[in-house]
Amino acid sequence: MKPFDLIKTTDPKHALLQKKEQVQYIAGGTNLVDLMKKNIQVPDTLLDVTEALGHRIDKQGKAVQIGAMARNTTVATDAMILRDFPLIAKAVLAGASPQIRNMASTAGNLLQRTRCPYFYDVTTACNKRKPGSGCSAYEGQNRMSAVVGYSTDCVAVHPSDLCVGLAALDAEVHVFGKDQKKSVIPFEEFHRLPGNTPHLDNNLPEHALITSIEIPENPFDKNCAYLKVRDRDSYSFALVSVAAALHLDGDRIIDARLASGGVAHKPWRWRDAEQFLRGKSATAATFGEAARLIVGDLKPLTHNGFKIDMLKGAVETALGQCLHV
Amino acid sequence: MRFFDKQNKEIPEGRVEAVDKVTGSGKFAAEYKVDNLCYGVLVDSTIPSGSIRNIDLTKAKQVKGVVGIVTHLQKPNVPGFATEDLIKQSRFGLPIFHTDKIHFKGQPIALVIAETLEDATYAATLVEVEYNTGGFQVDFDAAHPKIPLREAGKERGQIDSWSNAPYVMEAEYNIKSEVHNPMEMHATIAEWTSDRHLKLHDKTQGVNNVQQVIAPLFNLQKENIEVVSEFVGGGFGSGLRVWPHVLATVMAAKHVNRPVKVMLTRPQMFTGTGYRPASWQKIKLGADASGKFLGIHHQAKNETSLYERFSDQITRVTRLIYNFDNLKTEDALVPLNLSAATWMRGPGDCTGDFAIECAIDELSYKLKIDPVALRTKNIAATHHPDNKLPWSSNYLLECINEGAKRIGWNDRNPIPNAMKDGDWQIGYGMSVGMWNAGRNKTSAAIKMVRDGRIIVQTAMTDIGTGTGTGMKNIAHEMTGIPQDKITVELGNSNLPPAPSQGGSTGMSSVSGAVVDASNALKLKLAEYAALININFKNISPDDIHLSEKGISLKKNLDETVTYADLWEKNKLDSVVVEATSGPGEERKKYAFCSSAAHFCQVRVNVKTGKVKIEKLVCVADGGTIVNEKAAANQMSGAAVGGIGMALMEEKLLDAKLGGLIGDDLAGYHFPVNADAPIIDVSFISKPDPHINPTGAKGLGEVGIIGTAAAIANAIYHATGKRLRNLPITPDKVLG
Amino acid sequence: MKKGEKLSRRFFLKTTGALTLLAAIPASLKSAYKQVKNFIVTEKKMAPLTVSVNKKAYALDADTRTTLLDLLRENLSLTGTKKGCDHGQCGACTVHVDGERVLSCLTLSAMVGGKEVTTIEGIANGDQLHPMQEAFIVCDGFQCGYCTPGQIMSAIACVKEGHTNSVAEIKEHMSGNLCRCGAYNGIVESIQKVATT
Repeated sequence: MKPFDLIKTTDPKHALLQKKEQVQYIAGGTNLVDLMKKNIQVPDTLLDVTEALGHRIDKQGKAVQIGAMARNTTVATDAMILRDFPLIAKAVLAGASPQIRNMASTAGNLLQRTRCPYFYDVTTACNKRKPGSGCSAYEGQNRMSAVVGYSTDCVAVHPSDLCVGLAALDAEVHVFGKDQKKSVIPFEEFHRLPGNTPHLDNNLPEHALITSIEIPENPFDKNCAYLKVRDRDSYSFALVSVAAALHLDGDRIIDARLASGGVAHKPWRWRDAEQFLRGKSATAATFGEAARLIVGDLKPLTHNGFKIDMLKGAVETALGQCLHV
Repeated sequence: MRFFDKQNKEIPEGRVEAVDKVTGSGKFAAEYKVDNLCYGVLVDSTIPSGSIRNIDLTKAKQVKGVVGIVTHLQKPNVPGFATEDLIKQSRFGLPIFHTDKIHFKGQPIALVIAETLEDATYAATLVEVEYNTGGFQVDFDAAHPKIPLREAGKERGQIDSWSNAPYVMEAEYNIKSEVHNPMEMHATIAEWTSDRHLKLHDKTQGVNNVQQVIAPLFNLQKENIEVVSEFVGGGFGSGLRVWPHVLATVMAAKHVNRPVKVMLTRPQMFTGTGYRPASWQKIKLGADASGKFLGIHHQAKNETSLYERFSDQITRVTRLIYNFDNLKTEDALVPLNLSAATWMRGPGDCTGDFAIECAIDELSYKLKIDPVALRTKNIAATHHPDNKLPWSSNYLLECINEGAKRIGWNDRNPIPNAMKDGDWQIGYGMSVGMWNAGRNKTSAAIKMVRDGRIIVQTAMTDIGTGTGTGMKNIAHEMTGIPQDKITVELGNSNLPPAPSQGGSTGMSSVSGAVVDASNALKLKLAEYAALININFKNISPDDIHLSEKGISLKKNLDETVTYADLWEKNKLDSVVVEATSGPGEERKKYAFCSSAAHFCQVRVNVKTGKVKIEKLVCVADGGTIVNEKAAANQMSGAAVGGIGMALMEEKLLDAKLGGLIGDDLAGYHFPVNADAPIIDVSFISKPDPHINPTGAKGLGEVGIIGTAAAIANAIYHATGKRLRNLPITPDKVLG
Repeated sequence: MKKGEKLSRRFFLKTTGALTLLAAIPASLKSAYKQVKNFIVTEKKMAPLTVSVNKKAYALDADTRTTLLDLLRENLSLTGTKKGCDHGQCGACTVHVDGERVLSCLTLSAMVGGKEVTTIEGIANGDQLHPMQEAFIVCDGFQCGYCTPGQIMSAIACVKEGHTNSVAEIKEHMSGNLCRCGAYNGIVESIQKVATT
């Protein structure tokens, strides 16, 4: 690691004042410290914001506001989250390990960087790590890579599970900007597609802080599921994952949400399939058709063609699991 | 009286080193406090082939705290590497810091030494290297078809005689390279205590081996190198060699004239300490309609490095388990721009057995004979099929019967793809594994001190196998001295010499030495006791019982000479005996094997390709079980390793870039707790009558030999899909 | 292209070029050279740190880069906490910070100031082992013992968190602690034993 200064701040305004190029916020550190050890991020200064940001989980009317510093475990075990937003708890528990969930913050989860092995290997070309150097994964070992929304410059996927749940439930990201102004970014606009600027993971304004995540009231507390298919049963990243949620009236689907991880540079919403599901009866045949709609959009790379069948199966299975909760 | 043929209530509940391990007080190689210690960090090549044109150390040296940097241009003298010929003769492998050639990506090319780990790590990133790049090949699948096979061992019978047998099964099998990845990363602390004396705290499976390898390189007497390896955080074969980083650390300590500690990083564990090489195999297997095997043709290739050739001997196991009147085995090595491969748990046999056991399974369905029955019919139960010697003991058939019972083999629907539970398909599979049971010459000493406590000693390491606990159990059983009065010292080259802990020979080898040392102790004490009580003169060890207090005659325990009297009369403080024990004439008369039967029940999700191991049963014949708990632990652990081999372990390479990808514990998956069911382990537990005085055969390898095949066979039974390439990840199940 | 965190890398490279040129410049310009040199190789930053480990207070100057894991192992001689990957991928370095299980390899020591750290060395009560330590001995929940301290710290937390209702639940909540020896049978049994007594 390159030497760095570490400054602690207890005030978000103060944090914003200190933030500049080569100054990096640190919260849980589970991703940043790893990246610093690998020389992928080499800040001069770390700004410890763990005590500058809120960690409470509060009901705001019918919505919930999750403080930026709420640890993953806190989110997954919060009684109100479990009752009203169980999909979020399921998604969080599918990620990482108990130790990492105890450390990792909610905001940090959104800001974690891809786990593409080439991004992690400084001896290889990677446009995300070193713009203009090329994408080694595009025609390399891309079994874990994207099947939708990628570019020839980057085929990395976003590693978060929580974010898949947040995308499905139309969360909002509350931001405190360098100009000391608050703003809100709809979740789906938060993460970016790689295009020709894959070094930019998201649309968080430069130097801004995430202060909280808001999830609006939703009717998906009864019938939801999070399914993660991976090479081992726990503590590994997704081959594909599916957040599925149904709002049912009897067996009629009033509304549906479907999102996936492990398929794109950002958590991916399957809006056509959601639209298809609305008004249909919740049967295996319906779920099968929705899954077929989804996989029609996929364009696999050299080594991840399997994600078509796997995603199809995972979507069917997750929708099926929504009925058995 | 034979060993352990009765339930011994006195065996304590835990291992001899248990408290050290659960409190964290046991010291692993990197954990010793050494005065004036500095830290070394290796710099690795970033290209797979070529040579070093220039190494610029300017920036690295600017880091305050850097005390030295070793490269091929700036290094201390290593007499054993003085010339190309000497390097070759040393058979060391990679001549670290003695070449500008790059053989693989990740090859260590510099060692930065600094006051702190942070300084050394940072400075290592500032070493700038220019290369002349060369051509390379790391793709085993692409390279192996061009490499011709050669005969591997003597052909038996004639291949032509059965090629048109009524039932022939022919298929190819591919297994990706696996990496040992013991939890403790290899580490060495090197300290030159004088010009001619070296002390090493090293993670190794054999302290005497380290002495023997390092001594000639520095023209030292091996006794002048003390190697300490008291706690070894797993090996699985990675600690059977002395790897380049060990020599690098020794050189560094010389270079800066201070003790130096090097701990490899996890990525360096993928290129610095060996791996199970990727392999290709082809099996042709023939049988008549009754299921009698007529012949086998087994071809195998494994990858190896360019700078040393490692044969995994994949076809060895083909000559071991079954009766084949006709047998032909061929193999080949495929040199690639990779680091050196080495033995990994169940080396060779694990790989070969996967192919054979899958082929037999496939043949059984063709023949419409139960997989268990087909194996039972053909197992060489009485004689070693190659050298025709009678087995000293071979209870594989009993293992199979017991395993079948435990998993409920006969209750399954034998038809593939027939048992379902929603989206889950359910299947059963089985296989067997076998391993030549070895034994090596080993020494052990017992020291009795004034208060009647004994210390049992050997240089052998305990890598988690329970060696120390076994030694204590044996010493107790032999002498009668209570368990709580026995301590064990091991893993130090100053102790009586022993071979490396490996190849399932540890317990088999050391047990004989401890038995002999125990007897020697009894006789020595009897000799002294005889000066007090004449009845102790000229008696045999079997007549002697040692207690907490003194030496007694077994037939009359009242006839006792207390240690107190014994010490006083003979003016002694302690007694030390040493014994050496090894294989003998029995090896000419008998063949020796350990064996196991593996049974597995899987669930396979038709939609996601997920394979879930529901049950895994392992029944083993390891002769006498010296310590049931430790033995069962070792077996279930091996089974977990088998799950990894079957379902997830794969060292990933980028053929275009010529290097590893995902070379860490997030990229390389081995099973977590959730991947394994509670493994059902049991033993036949009958002593081998000839292998050694305890009748214990080794277990470490047979626990994994066959596991992967049992799982693959169960997946076939569940799905009707025959998957012949490991690992069987969800994508392959769906494909 | 927007300038992001990569600025430093590019700047770094530029400066490197400058250094190469300067190296050939006569001694009269050495002061300029020195400035560049100082800039390139950042000096380590030491910062005062007060931390309590196993209820013992430590006040020291620590390199800001030092992780809690390296602080324990290399500076405080508390080597019971193990380094198995140094990147949050194995769980061998698990300790408790303010009572919760965390990975010490991804924790900067400078960020635990004022907190209570508990390691494997701090869970026994004098000679009286913690019940989880006893259970690991009795159930043989280890082989080589290297992952064991992390397993035990995690296991204690697993019980405290209440994730012991089934074998499957224990296994899931212990999956952040890899064991290459595969001693999972005994680890699960140890936790069951403690959870039910």
